[in-house]
Amino acid sequence: MSGLSLHLQKLKKFSWSGIAALICLIFILFVVLYTFFHLQHDPNLTNLDERLQGMSLQHPLGTDQLGRDVLTRLLLGAQQTIGYSLLALLAALIIGVPFGLISGYKRGLVDRVFMRIADGFLAFPDTIIAIVLSGLLGPGIGNLVLAIIMVKWVSYARLVRSTVLAESQKEYVLVARTNGLSPIKIIRKHLFPHIIGHVLVLASLDFGKIILLISAFSYIGLGVQPPTPEWGAMLNESRPYFQTRPELMIYSGLAIVVVVLLTNMLGDYLRDHFDVKKEVEQ
Amino acid sequence: MILSMEQVSIRSGEKKIIDNVPFSIDKGEWFALVGQSGSGKSILSRAIGQLLPKNFQVEGKILLNEEDLCSLSPKQMRTIRGQTLSYIFQDYQGTFTPFRTIGQHLEEYQKVHGNLDTRQRKIKSIEALHSVGLDEAFYSSYPFQLSGGQLQRASIAIALLLSPDLLIADEITTALDSVSGHRILELLAKKQKEIGCTILFITHDWRHVRRYADRIAIMKDGVIVESGGKHRILDHPKHAYTKQLIHATPILGKGLLSGLQEVGKE
Amino acid sequence: MSLLTVKELTKSYQSGKVAVDYLSFTLNKGECLGLVGESGCGKSTLARCLLRIEPINSGSIYFNNEPIESLNGRQLYSYRKKLQIVFQNPLAALNPKLKIKDSLVDPYLEYAKELNLSYFSFTSKAAFVKQLLEAVELPSSLADRYPHEISGGQQQRVTIARAISIEPELIVLDEPTASLDVISQRAVLTLLTELRETLNLSYLFISHDLAAVNQMCQRILVMKEGHLIDEFNRRDLFDNERHAYTKELISIY
Repeated sequence: MSGLSLHLQKLKKFSWSGIAALICLIFILFVVLYTFFHLQHDPNLTNLDERLQGMSLQHPLGTDQLGRDVLTRLLLGAQQTIGYSLLALLAALIIGVPFGLISGYKRGLVDRVFMRIADGFLAFPDTIIAIVLSGLLGPGIGNLVLAIIMVKWVSYARLVRSTVLAESQKEYVLVARTNGLSPIKIIRKHLFPHIIGHVLVLASLDFGKIILLISAFSYIGLGVQPPTPEWGAMLNESRPYFQTRPELMIYSGLAIVVVVLLTNMLGDYLRDHFDVKKEVEQ
Repeated sequence: MILSMEQVSIRSGEKKIIDNVPFSIDKGEWFALVGQSGSGKSILSRAIGQLLPKNFQVEGKILLNEEDLCSLSPKQMRTIRGQTLSYIFQDYQGTFTPFRTIGQHLEEYQKVHGNLDTRQRKIKSIEALHSVGLDEAFYSSYPFQLSGGQLQRASIAIALLLSPDLLIADEITTALDSVSGHRILELLAKKQKEIGCTILFITHDWRHVRRYADRIAIMKDGVIVESGGKHRILDHPKHAYTKQLIHATPILGKGLLSGLQEVGKE
Repeated sequence: MSLLTVKELTKSYQSGKVAVDYLSFTLNKGECLGLVGESGCGKSTLARCLLRIEPINSGSIYFNNEPIESLNGRQLYSYRKKLQIVFQNPLAALNPKLKIKDSLVDPYLEYAKELNLSYFSFTSKAAFVKQLLEAVELPSSLADRYPHEISGGQQQRVTIARAISIEPELIVLDEPTASLDVISQRAVLTLLTELRETLNLSYLFISHDLAAVNQMCQRILVMKEGHLIDEFNRRDLFDNERHAYTKELISIY
């Protein structure tokens, strides 16, 4: 069969969409950071005289029902939405990855105990945990992020564990062991490069989901509390004016759609990238 | 003459994998095709049964029993596969569907080729197992319960079940250790004597076949560099590549490489 | 002078299967000792026991007349730097995500402080990698490639280069040529013999190919179902006193 596969080797194709998505995301992050340092308007300053204005030089995207500048709120909302999503994602990674590494490498009892704990967390869907936490601790972005971390870390732990389980069986790990490398060194040098690709793919795909989750919960009032700008919350606030000023909803809605789309494109690109490499290896 | 190839070329896209290969196999002989991995010998063997993926184009004529296989419809080809032409592959694990028993495999082939009597099928299956030295218990065992050598025996049983005219054995001993491989070859030689089928044996190591083959062809990069009787090829190689192959492989015995002295003129 | 002595080694698995049964043999310094047997006879298990990857049930293993079967921690570490292994499948034995040069220096970096190399010398990583690749007759341009980008024969040469990089005393060769085609097999076996002479190594050569073992080794052990059933010098291979099983093996080649 080796003869066949030799001629079926896939050419590595270069994907512009992934690069474009990455550039757009970096651009958005840059704009958001720039806004943070150079605020033109106070996002929370209400001015009822100027409420529900259309586009103007002073307010490029107009003002909302309380006379606040929509562009400023949109950009600062990005900080809330993207920032908290990143925070939740990073925390999930920091908990999940080491958990999976230890579980997969040690096997046996450690593995069994760790994985039963993970299964326990997996038993509850994220929505339920978020609602229960809000009920117990009160609504707020902190509790929402906590709920997301509690659910998301499990999938990273499981992913890393399965990769480590498969790879640590291979002979190169055996050779490393007979060469006296400590488990930490083996994990760092020999196993980490294998999991980093998988984790990046899952993380970039998850990022979009977390943004949606945070927006959704803010929309129903369990996430970011007013008057802090957040895309989901902004959607909810502009709901009563949907008939007269639909663009108020469209701005924040579109922002969510675009960012989620971009992260998904990036995720797809990363997945293709790492998959192609794998095929050539085999 | 059971199989003859007339100027067969196989290309995949721009790349020519097999270049103008001519050879013919006489009825009842053991023909060995020897070549390194990547020489195209497996692709050539698959071309005979029309088993290549769509992106390979086959040119030339492949005649099996005077019939051009390239011109047959897929349906006609299906009746030929299994009945007049059968295969055994290197990967004995992959040859069997993991969740079906050995018996189910054996029955399926008979059913496909027209044997509809359940009892008769079972009797024939068990007979086939006995004939390759496996006892009745293996009839209801699953592939993973058998060792490599046993699985390869079962493959032989399946391949010879419908008494094909031509058996293509593609590296069947490569994945086995030398002892099991040796026993498989002995079995195959014995079966050939019994039913008189023709064997096209593909291997990368000429030592595997030096005792059994009648004729040998040496293949390199899609071209047959030398072919002829075993004695001629092994004891008096002409082509530099053949010499290199023979030189690279250590053997233990003294005497002729073709092993003719040991086998005698039986 | 004996380098490795195995006495009454027994190893059985949890399933109750006895893989190695009461095995004793000696490997002399500078020698290539062949171990022949079919698959499942326990020869690979024996290799793993010698490497101390698998625990043994009973018996003892002496390396340079020191018992090593119960070493731990620091002592095991210094034992392991005298012993290397080359496996059958080079692609599995090389980390696919590491470049050749990184895989090559892995053992050296681990033992750098305690090593006193006589043949190679570590001035810089690049120079060291070049030396190693030269020793196994590979072009130094391969250093920046990944394992899947080079051929099977080249991969096996890389694992051999890694094994000799710390100049061990003994290398266990577990079917080192079984996954290679015949021409690379020959080349790798010749290379191994040359390296043994230049670096003053000893080999335990495990294989099912009696012809290859006969070409490489001075002494040959034959193993069947966990037992050692025959032991002889190469020149006595065709002797009439050989075990029936050995004779069967001979008849294959």
